[in-house]
This record gives sequence, C-alpha cells and structure tokens, in this order.
Amino acid sequence: MRQIQILLFIMTTTVSAFAQTGKASTIKKTFSRQTSVSVRIAADREVIWALLTNADDFPRWNSTILKMEGDIAQGEKISLVSTLDITRTFKLKVKKLAPETEMVWTDGAAPFFKGLRTYTLTANPDGSSTFSMSEKIGGLMFPMAAKHIPDFDASFEKFAADLKQEAEIIQHSNQ
Amino acid sequence: MTTLDTLNETFKSCRPQLKSYILRMTASVEDTEDIVQETYLKAHKNLESFRGDSSLKTWIFTIASNLARDFLRAKKRWPENVTDICKEAALSNRQFFQEMMEIRTTSPQGDFEIREHITFCFTCIAKSLPIEQQLCLLLKEIYAFQVSEIAQILDKSEAMIKYYLHTARSKMTAIFDHRCALINKEGVCHQCTELNGIFNPKQKVQEELMKIEMVRAAGQKDKATLFDLRLEIVRAIDPFESGAAALQLHHLTHNKAVMDKYLEEK
Repeated sequence: MRQIQILLFIMTTTVSAFAQTGKASTIKKTFSRQTSVSVRIAADREVIWALLTNADDFPRWNSTILKMEGDIAQGEKISLVSTLDITRTFKLKVKKLAPETEMVWTDGAAPFFKGLRTYTLTANPDGSSTFSMSEKIGGLMFPMAAKHIPDFDASFEKFAADLKQEAEIIQHSNQ
Repeated sequence: MTTLDTLNETFKSCRPQLKSYILRMTASVEDTEDIVQETYLKAHKNLESFRGDSSLKTWIFTIASNLARDFLRAKKRWPENVTDICKEAALSNRQFFQEMMEIRTTSPQGDFEIREHITFCFTCIAKSLPIEQQLCLLLKEIYAFQVSEIAQILDKSEAMIKYYLHTARSKMTAIFDHRCALINKEGVCHQCTELNGIFNPKQKVQEELMKIEMVRAAGQKDKATLFDLRLEIVRAIDPFESGAAALQLHHLTHNKAVMDKYLEEK
C-alpha cells in the first residue's frame, strides 16, 4: 500500500511539473484537434492579465502576434494577424472574460467549423502563477480542412515563453 | 495632526513641480492653473482626512493626479505622429510664426534651445500613451517618486505600476528611436533643428547638437540608455521657468488647439 502511495505521488508530481514546462501537446481526433500549453510564471496574475488584455501592446512582447486591434473585453471583437498565417486576419470574439482567471476567444461558426481559444490563470501558493492556453478547433468540415491547418505546437510554446519572459521582467524590475 | 501651516508650506514648496507635472499631462496652461488651484482647495477641505499614511507631498500629488485623470478620461489620446500633424498645421498658419517671432524678440523667456524643444516634444509624445502609463512615467522618471508611492497615488498595486512603467518606457523608447533624427539617422522628425535654423539662424547647429550628451551618445549607446539621457534633459527643465518658457508654452498651446480639432474631426 505504501509503495502504491509513493508511486502515485511520484506520478502526480511528475505530470504536474511536466504540465507547466511550457511544452505544447496536441490531441487529434477525427472532427477536432486540441493544442494545449501550460507554464509557471513568477509574476502576479494581474501583470500577466494586463499583458493578455492589452491588444495594441501584444506585438511588442509576443513574437507570434504581428498585429492585434480591438478591445479585449467581454463581447468585443478583435482582429489579429499571427505568424501562423501572415496573409490572414483572424476575426475573433471575446466570448468570456473573468478577470485574472479565464478568457475565451472564438471564431468560425458551429457546427461546420469553430475555434475556441481558452486562457486560464491560477495563483500558486508560492506567489507565482500558472498560465494555460488551449485551442480546440473542430466541426463537420474539420476533416477536410485539417491538412491545411498548420501545427500550433511551436507557436504555442513561443507564446507561453514570451509571456513568461515579459511578465517576469516586469515583476522583477528594480524600478 | 497636520496643520494648515504645514499644508501651505508643503504646497508652496511642491507647487512648481505640481504645475509642470499637470502641464505635461494636460498640455494646457489654463487647465494646469485650474487643476493646481482645485488641488489646493481639495487638500485644504480634506486636510482632516489626511492620516499620514504617505508624505503630504504624495497626498497632494494623489489629489492632483485624480483631478487630472478625471479631467482627461473622456478625452482622446494624441497620436504618436502628433508633431507631424502640428507641423503641417503650423506651416499653413502665418499668425503662429509671427507670434513666435514676436515672443522670440521681445520676451525674456523667448530663447529657442534644442534642449527645450526636446522636453516640449517629450510632453507631446507622452500624450500618446494610455493615461495610467503617462502618469507613471512622469511620476517616476521626471518627479522621482518611488514605485510604492506611485502605487499609493494611483491606488494600484506595485506590480501594476511596474507594468505601466515598463510598457510606457518600451513604447516611448521605440517611438523616439523611429522618429527622432537626433538619435537615429533614419529618424523622420527634424523639427528641433529646423526650428533652430529659424530662430537662431547664426548658430551652427552641429556645434549646438554636440553639446547634448544624448546626441553625442547616439550610435554608441543602446536605445534604453538614449531614452534615459532624454529623461535627464526633461528632468532638468521647468517648462514655466526656463529661458524658452514663453516660446515653448505658446507652441504647446498651438499644438493642443490643433490636436483638439484633429481628434474632434476624427
């Protein structure tokens, strides 16, 4: 029994640590695909949240975003150009916004094709924060479009790394 | 308990800083006078509520910052290329140049100096920042408040003040790097040297420029250091008391009128 408990503890901590390393993972299904990344950031949630909700400022610190316009607020529309496809302007809607906790952006139209980008922030006991981002794309048209949609893993990892770097620089700046 | 005498004494000693701070926020001499006056009246009225959680000077700046913030909240921010827009308006306004020439020749504060224009330019461009960022930048970099004091003044956490400061500095550094020909040969704005040619035609502009450390350091120092050197210039000049005050305040009044009209039409 004791050995099982130790094994379970090791497994849990290993999974938890792995989940916050900033390494992206993708789960592929016939009608959907979901990419996720999670990273521990040594900064207050409000600083991270400020970075995530200031559209004009995104391209300054986030190397995956070339341009972003709009007001990142509940129900508002934003447009962005990312390095994933520099020829396309994505039109997104802020579907949910719970300050310093969760934000959801959507695009497309169900049931044919829909994208759902979710950002979550959680406070850790040591004062750091855990940032997680996932994007689920899917729908009836997904199997036909799948081969034309680029892989998100590298872009997600860069996004998380840039956010971590910028938030930690701000938090630890000796102003 | 803080007495009225202490308030009056503190207010008197920090009034020059307060005036220049509010001028740099509003770009209007008239609005500055009003806000400074209102700050005193509010401080006088609420003196009993001052508990000494901060210094009296910080408390006075808190009142002034709130008044300025409320006053500016509904107004649109200026664009980064404010000096281009205002230059174009000035070129088609003969009266503006006639008034400037008159100030230049008759006012004891009518000198034109490139340093003074650098501070004027800083005021205009800082008005393109979101208001919290502009407030933080001025309070920290020009008026030497600590992050903890600015957090009290703006009623925000220290982490957020650091965020505003970092973002403001990054944006201003990038704008000047892109625009200012004094620090970047590819810079699109030469306004200070052009105006120097108009107001000081006998001066050798290169010699004048070499007196400015920021210009001498251009090409050798990084962008952030050049921005720090720019801040040093701004810190050293009181826009109401300098030798160019009359000329620059007239210019600022012109720019504000141009921007008010431009933003209203937009």
